[in-house]
Amino acid sequence: MSTLANPMPDAGPIVLEKAELKSWKAPIALGIFALIALILFVGFGRDGSSTFRFAESTDVVQLPSLTLPTRATGIVIAILLVLLTLVGAALAQTRRTVQIWFVAIFALLFMVGLLTWASAGHTVPFTGLLIGAVSLSVPLIFGAMGGVISERVGVVNVAIEGQLLAGAFVSAMVGSMTRSPWAGIVAAMVAGVLVAFVLAAFSIKYFVDQVIVGVVLNVLVSGLTSFLYSQLLTAHPAELNAPPRFSPVDIPVLSEIPIIGPVLFRQTVIVYLMYIAVAAVYFGLFHTRWGLRLRSVGEHPQAADTVGINVTGTRFWNVSLAGAIVGAGGAYFTLGSVGSFSQDMTAGAGFIALAAVIFGRWDPIRATLAALLFGFATNLQNVLGIIGSPVPSEFLLMLPYLVTIFAVAGLVGVVRGPAASGKPYIKS
Amino acid sequence: MTRILEDILTITARRAGLTGLAAIGVMALLAACAPAPSTGGSSTAAASNFLPCMVSDSGGFDDKSFNQLGYEGLTSAASELKVKFLKAQSKTETDFAPNITSMVNQNCNLVVTVGFLLADATKAAAAANPNTNFAIIDDSSITAKNVKPIIFDTAQAAFLAGYASASYSKTSIVGTFGGMQIPTVTIFMDGFADGVKYFNTKKGKNVKVVGWNVDTQNGSFTGGFAANQTAKNTAQGLIDQNADVILPVGGPIYQSAAQAIRDSGKPIVMLGVDADVYASDPSVKDLLLTSVMKGMKPGVHDVVKAAASGTFSNAPYVGTLKNGGVALAPFHDYASKVDPGLQGELDTIKAGIIDGSIKVTSPSSPK
Repeated sequence: MSTLANPMPDAGPIVLEKAELKSWKAPIALGIFALIALILFVGFGRDGSSTFRFAESTDVVQLPSLTLPTRATGIVIAILLVLLTLVGAALAQTRRTVQIWFVAIFALLFMVGLLTWASAGHTVPFTGLLIGAVSLSVPLIFGAMGGVISERVGVVNVAIEGQLLAGAFVSAMVGSMTRSPWAGIVAAMVAGVLVAFVLAAFSIKYFVDQVIVGVVLNVLVSGLTSFLYSQLLTAHPAELNAPPRFSPVDIPVLSEIPIIGPVLFRQTVIVYLMYIAVAAVYFGLFHTRWGLRLRSVGEHPQAADTVGINVTGTRFWNVSLAGAIVGAGGAYFTLGSVGSFSQDMTAGAGFIALAAVIFGRWDPIRATLAALLFGFATNLQNVLGIIGSPVPSEFLLMLPYLVTIFAVAGLVGVVRGPAASGKPYIKS
Repeated sequence: MTRILEDILTITARRAGLTGLAAIGVMALLAACAPAPSTGGSSTAAASNFLPCMVSDSGGFDDKSFNQLGYEGLTSAASELKVKFLKAQSKTETDFAPNITSMVNQNCNLVVTVGFLLADATKAAAAANPNTNFAIIDDSSITAKNVKPIIFDTAQAAFLAGYASASYSKTSIVGTFGGMQIPTVTIFMDGFADGVKYFNTKKGKNVKVVGWNVDTQNGSFTGGFAANQTAKNTAQGLIDQNADVILPVGGPIYQSAAQAIRDSGKPIVMLGVDADVYASDPSVKDLLLTSVMKGMKPGVHDVVKAAASGTFSNAPYVGTLKNGGVALAPFHDYASKVDPGLQGELDTIKAGIIDGSIKVTSPSSPK
């Protein structure tokens, strides 16, 4: 501490401390990708030309398509990446940190190079790539928002997967019975809350290990929905498993912006709800009294209790609120996307959402970006598979997970979550 | 006595939370890991002691496709034979071996395992139980005295489908995508692409196939057999490439493709696989050009009946165009929209494939 008197009067200057700040992690990571770029784009360079299509047939403003010569573009980009790596190394050498925008520019260049290389002789529908990325991210973002609230208030929510699945199942059933997608999404939120009630009751009231309750809940919801699906839904598909879907709503003016319009503003109501949810969670957490209390309970419950905040109650109701948000995300699977429920259709989205929470450092905006990154990687895999890239399909299927691991391990490093997350508060 | 019971109940109530959790956990684990075999069939007294059994893959018996067709073959054979049968549904790949073992322990005479993915588990069980007969659908890798492979040369029917699709396509681009990259899926895609190629050489056209490359055996896959957003995006990707005929191969993923087609609002059609989807799922019949049918139901039916009459053999049952084990479904609603000469051309090609003058080969074809 600087306020303490220095016990050693003849201690040297702070050179040693400074030396520890020299971090080679970023330049090494950049170097690996630059090497991959050199090998792929130059070593295995492909001939022909790659076309990027930016306009949908329904757009008012028709952007022209961009055609690049594959080999030349690859070489230029590989050289640029190597130069950027050298700049990164120089920054590290002079003990300056490699900023996030620097990494972003590097990643963007690498991505353009990869797409150009993989699509030699083909057309990449760039807008379609992004539209698909957003639609794959929607349930992940809802799940991540629920995860952020729940963990910030001090309860680890491993049950996101179960809440998504319960939401998907109930929204399909209620939506079909009432013929109203609105009733479906409300029912999905109720289902999410019910799962959250169980999680909250066991972890807050009975102090059961939160991770174990979460895992058990996932298995329980999976078993229950599969059972009901095979007993009820497959027997009466028209009455119970054919909900009306939300149809896309174009937002006037905004939906006509090239690229951004079709990607963000020609979506279903659930996606617009997601925008509101992200903004509300961000604003609520960091700019309202509710958020301050919530975070204090998650960081230091004793202190919160001392100043008169009801720790148990705050935890219980916020975990339930998180359940409602995740449940709405579950409705996207049936009411927004495919239009019918099938067994275990969430396929691990809840766990990816959990990873997004940690990758996003328990921050709603960063967690949203992390979910979008995963959605993009998944859809990139789809598009590359279709245009017939030279990368084997089995490898492509690993891509989203590889990106997640790399992102969590390589870019995030040591993070500190809410201090009391996962610890039951036993009032003494 | 009652007092003691009441005391116990009070203590139990206090501990209800924990006990409840434990109970839930145990139930859930039981439900997930090893579903108890369920007895089906007619309630009438069994006509013989013959007990046929079936183990599904992770799609489940109600997948409106692959497993369901095999199951229907079993039920129809069992009701004709007036015998009971057992079935076990696998939820994940780790269920395969325990399910097969539990079937063997129930004294099943014949265990039918549905799908290529069960090959390893079936092989191990067959070696461990030489007195039980096995039949495995879609796999011919096992050579054992007590294992009968039920396999299909689906490429032959898919070849016809590829030819028909190429003829129907207005954009001259047709697309296909699969669930997982396994031989029983890619054989459809191989036949389809070769059919398109045959059309191009016959008619001097240049219809392109997107989503699958026969030469490199590389293409687009969703990574599983669930009708989810990934499958929908993959179909959307094919639509973005301007394809107007789509062949989704793998259980229920056609439902996702149907939604993508409806969302696009374009006049795009798709093809069904395994069953005549026009009949099995009428909700998508307006989008179905035709279906590539795989006679799983008659195949299983015949094998079960043969085993019941004591004539089980390990010679593989191979479904082909010749024996009707694979076929192209009628065009139904699209009969008036396809080229009038198409059906005649398809009949000629079919005859050619049967007499061997047209060779349809796929790396995944049964050997």
